[in-house]
This record gives sequence, structure tokens and C-alpha cells, in this order.
Amino acid sequence: MTVADLFDPEGIAVVGASDTPGKIGYEAMQNAIQFDGPVYPVNPSSSGTVFNREFISSVTEISGEVDLALCCVPAPVVPDIIRECGEAGIGGAVIFAGGFSEAGPEGQELQERLVETAIEGDVAVLGPNTSGFLVPEEKLYATFATNINTIPPGNIAVIAQSGGLAYAIAFQAENKGVGLSAMVGLGNRANVGFKEAIEYFDSDVKTDAIVLHVEGTDNGRGLLETCERIETPVVAYNVGEQDVGDFAESHTGALTGEYELYEAGFAQYGVPTVRSSTELLDAGTVLASSPQPDGPNVGVVTAQAGPGIAITDRLKAAGANLPSLTEETQDVVEEILPGITFSANPVDTGRPMPEFGDVVAAVARDENIDIVLVYELYEGGLGYPTEALEGLAEEVDKPIVFASSGPDEIVREELAELEALGIPTFTAPERAADATSALVQYAKRNAEPDVTVVGKGVSTDD
Amino acid sequence: MTETLKIARNEQRSALTEAEAKKLLADRGLAVPDSETVDSPKSAVQTAEKIGYPVVAKVASPSVQHKSEWGDGVGVNVGLKNSESVRTAAEDIFDAADQQEIDADVLIEAGVNLEKGLEVIVGGTRDPSFGPTVLVGLGGITVEVLQDTSHRIAPVSTAEAVEMTYELEASPLLDGYRGSPTVDREAVAEAIVTVGEVLDENEEIREIEINPLLAESERAVVLDALVSLED
Repeated sequence: MTVADLFDPEGIAVVGASDTPGKIGYEAMQNAIQFDGPVYPVNPSSSGTVFNREFISSVTEISGEVDLALCCVPAPVVPDIIRECGEAGIGGAVIFAGGFSEAGPEGQELQERLVETAIEGDVAVLGPNTSGFLVPEEKLYATFATNINTIPPGNIAVIAQSGGLAYAIAFQAENKGVGLSAMVGLGNRANVGFKEAIEYFDSDVKTDAIVLHVEGTDNGRGLLETCERIETPVVAYNVGEQDVGDFAESHTGALTGEYELYEAGFAQYGVPTVRSSTELLDAGTVLASSPQPDGPNVGVVTAQAGPGIAITDRLKAAGANLPSLTEETQDVVEEILPGITFSANPVDTGRPMPEFGDVVAAVARDENIDIVLVYELYEGGLGYPTEALEGLAEEVDKPIVFASSGPDEIVREELAELEALGIPTFTAPERAADATSALVQYAKRNAEPDVTVVGKGVSTDD
Repeated sequence: MTETLKIARNEQRSALTEAEAKKLLADRGLAVPDSETVDSPKSAVQTAEKIGYPVVAKVASPSVQHKSEWGDGVGVNVGLKNSESVRTAAEDIFDAADQQEIDADVLIEAGVNLEKGLEVIVGGTRDPSFGPTVLVGLGGITVEVLQDTSHRIAPVSTAEAVEMTYELEASPLLDGYRGSPTVDREAVAEAIVTVGEVLDENEEIREIEINPLLAESERAVVLDALVSLED
């Protein structure tokens, strides 16, 4: 089985294709034909054409190149379709239908039959009970959801247990202008689960960060081990905190909920966790677009004290260090800002100024600092220090996160210029702080043991 | 599989006795109070004399898991300071066992001064999705009410286990508070590490619970332990 047939096909068969608008066989067909490759509508009870392509009675009758089948058929016929896919040499299939393991014992049995068939026929099956996946760069829309072709291509892969949440994240990305290398809803995970999807997108050159939505799996340890093994940074949104069961009844067993184990496990295996889909995308954005941080030491530069304090507060709560700047850096800052009230960390310039970018650069070059977080309110006469920051993130090889507030039409355009320099931007101070906190978590969770326990007098010799 | 586990399996028991569980942990280097299992009030007294007062007398039977609630509260008797009170406590346990028609012995154990330490829970469970896992929390009602626990996928290193103790909201209490003793975090960590290892190495164990582990300034003592077996 190779999931490349699924996520990187040569051609597509839409099984259960329909010429009736509104049916999933129609919507899936409409999406599929945007792909730059052959797309075949398959339906034994239809004749004529749909979107100028002639109906074919079975996947086994297709003569051209095809390795992905989008199955728009009801649950009971799915195993038969998968068997035919195997016979036809189609190595990947997406099953949209529900009514499998999520639907009681009968569905469970049906899913078992499906998995057996898939293994026999060597077919990588995404779903069942999924809304499919997207690879925007390839215009590969293996889904029946509509209006998805506005989701821009980029370098973040979204892998969600729930297809619904996958779209919630994908459309937030679209709204914010963040690009995705892929969006995958895993659904019931017949034989393509977290492991297979994560490994595939780890090896995908277009993917620079993987973001996960997790509700629970039957192999939590396997998922953690996969995350630890791969190169691409991963961040996870683990849902289900409140489902703790009847904890007071007994102790150990009842206290050990799956949520707690995921939170602990992700920390142990080097994966930052977040608490909302918005944070997930923000964390993915900074991990995908920044150099990886070497440590948890954040330098904050702010042009307004209030947002700076809010940012600092949040960073500290998340376990960030805000170390003092070196004397050398403090000298540079004081030369730019004579009589500055506070030049340690955060550096507060009082208001935006022409040399604001130089202050940011000085902090970024400080050897005590691993990550830089900048906040300034937009000021018309000054604009943003785009020129001063050009090449800075690469030069210092550290993440620089930039937050600013101002009128939408101005910040949208001007912040895009900073984004193009590899500086992720946010328009709310707390969102920037939370995204930076994910970087801090990433650095701490992937650090050598002696870094994470600094200051606690703990021996780590084991 | 250790001899104790084999015996328990052969008897189709769902758990080890407290004495067996403690021995399993003591064999791995964890501190337990001196103790002996006896089958008569007379040998209970002899044992108490040998161990030295005060002692604790507890019901010891594979069919009793919640000892303090058992037999109208005669299952656990602490702070026994002389032969008379040991004899009475043992007789109460044997009588209650006879009434319930179960086989029971009595565990006589050296009494421990709870004021000298902090009661901690250290546990481990075999999760269907994660395999062996461990947890630490403050013992007693704190863990039930506040769920102040730290978890890890096992096995863990000592450094990780020490880190777990710092993750507790109650962590400052381990550094001593208003005259209470500072706790030896490494000793607590050793208990966590051991629970993780035992669980990792013995697939027939489903769950281990040390509750309480009395964390003192120089050591941590297993005051009660439960080892449940897979069905």
C-alpha cells in the first residue's frame, strides 16, 4: 500500500458520479475536474456525459491512468467498490459515506470488511466518514465540499481527525491568507491513519509544518512515536479535556484520562499543544515560516507598553524565559533611545520611531535571545520597518514574530510585505504571544534534557 | 514473571495482596515499612514486639481490596502502642473474616509518623491506546478533588519523573511549608520510575497504585500499594 496513490495521483475516478447538482457525486465530480490529469466519472446506472466526460460502468473498465477513486456511494456497496479498485490497480480511495464504525455493531462489521478488502486489494483508504482532502497547489480537491478552491497553496499540512474541523482550519487559513500544502480529514481511519498521513507529508517537500487535530485513537503511543521520528515540526490540538469520567470512584486508572495522556505524551515526544483551532493554525504558521528556535528565550520589543505587558504576561504563563539583554545590546538600544525607561526585556520604545527596526535588529542579534516578538501600533507617517528587517530572520537564524494593529486595508497590505520576509504577522497582541508560546514549547520540548530543567537543581544523568 | 505474580495468576486472582505488592516494589529498591504477615493474634503480638511499637494491623486477604472500609472499619488499625491493642486489633480482624467466611491473615507493620512527610499518590496503568503510563499527585482528597496530577508515557527517566513533581500545582508544598518537611523529590521520582518499569516489564499487571507514598526529606516510603492484574 502506498499513500502516494492517494495524495499524489496521476488520474482520478469518481465512483457514483452524478449529473444532478447537489448530489455528492456531482459536487465531487465538479471538484475533481479541476485537477490537471484525467478524471473519470464511474456509474453503472448512468449514461451519456457529465462535465463533458463519458460515464464508465466500473473502475475496472477504465483504460487510462488512474490511481485515486473518490467513492460517492452508500456504505453497503463500499467494500465491493474497494474490491474493484484493487482489481483495477487503483491504489488510493476516499470514502465519504458514513455508517461504519461510528454507527454501532453493524457499521463496525462493515468497516472490518472494508479494511480486509482494502488490505487484500492493496488500496490506501482515506475515511470512511470523511469529507476528503485537498492539495491546493495541485488543484487536487478530493472532496464533495463546495467553494474550496479559494484555499491558497502554502506550506502547512492540516491533518485532522474530523473532516469538519479540517475545513474549519482550512477556511481560517483562507480568511487570513495563509496557505496550505494539504488539508486531510482522516474520518474513521480504515487503513490510512495519523501515522500514514504524517509520514507522507513529512516527506512532502512543500510541507514545512504539520498541524494535527486529535480526538483520540486506538494507538496513541504509535502516533506519538511517529511525531517524534519525523523531521517536520508538528503541533497538535488535542480535544476532549472535559471527558474525565468518574474520577472520584477510584484513583490511578480513573485519573489517567486519554486527554491527560495526549497532553503528557505530546510534551514528552516533542510536540507543542494548543487549545483552539485558531491557535493551531497560528502555531503552524510560525513553525512553517520561521527558522526553528534554539531555546525558550524570548526578546520582546514593543512600541506601546500596554500590549507589551499583555504579551509578556502571556508568554511567562506559557513558560517562556525573558532573559536580560547583553550589555552590548543594551548599549545599542540606549544609544538609539537615550534615557529610555526600560531597556532590559521587554524593550519599550514608547511609540513607533524611525529607528524601531534597528532596535528589533539589535534584540534579534542578542546572544541571549532565541525568539523575537515585536509589537507596534501602526503609525501612518512611519509605516513598518520592512527595510530594516529584510534578511534579518535569516541572518540571525531565529524566529521573528511581528504583531501590529491598524486599519484592515493598511495592515493587510503592509504586513504581507513582512510575511514575505519570513516574518509571521498577527493583528492581536495575544495571538502573537500564543503563537510565540508554541515556539517556546517547541524549543523546550525538543531540547536536550538539561535545558528544560535549568534552575531546578535537578540532575539529569540517566 | 516473578514468583508472586505467577502464584496470583494461578489462583486466578485479580490483584496481589498488599504484602505481595509491597514486596514486589521493595525488591525493586523502594522503601517499605518493616512488616510480617501473621495467622494468629498471638503471633501478631510477637511480631509487634519484634518490630517495635507503634505498629499498624491490617487485614491481609486476596478478597479484600478496600481495607479501611472492610468489616465495619476493623480492617486497618493504626497507632497500636502495646501488646493489648495489637491482640484486640488482630482478634477483630480474624472475627470479621470468620463472619464473612473468608480466608484472612493479619499484616503487622511498623507504624510511620505521617507528620514527617507528605502523602503522595504514585500510580501506573496500562492504557489501551498508550500502553504503560505513570502518574504522580498529592495523596488523599487532594487528588480526588483537585485532580492535581502529572502524567507520562512509561518508562520514564529519573529526570523526567522529577520534572513531573514540579508540574504539580502543589509542587511548592514539596519544598516544605510552614514547618512541614521538605520532600526528597528524587525519592518520589524513583517510585515513579519503578512503577513505570514494573508495568513495562510485566504485561500481566494492569495497574499499580502506591497510595499513599509518604515522601519524607530523605526517602519515600510505600505505605500502601495495590497491584491489579489483567483479567
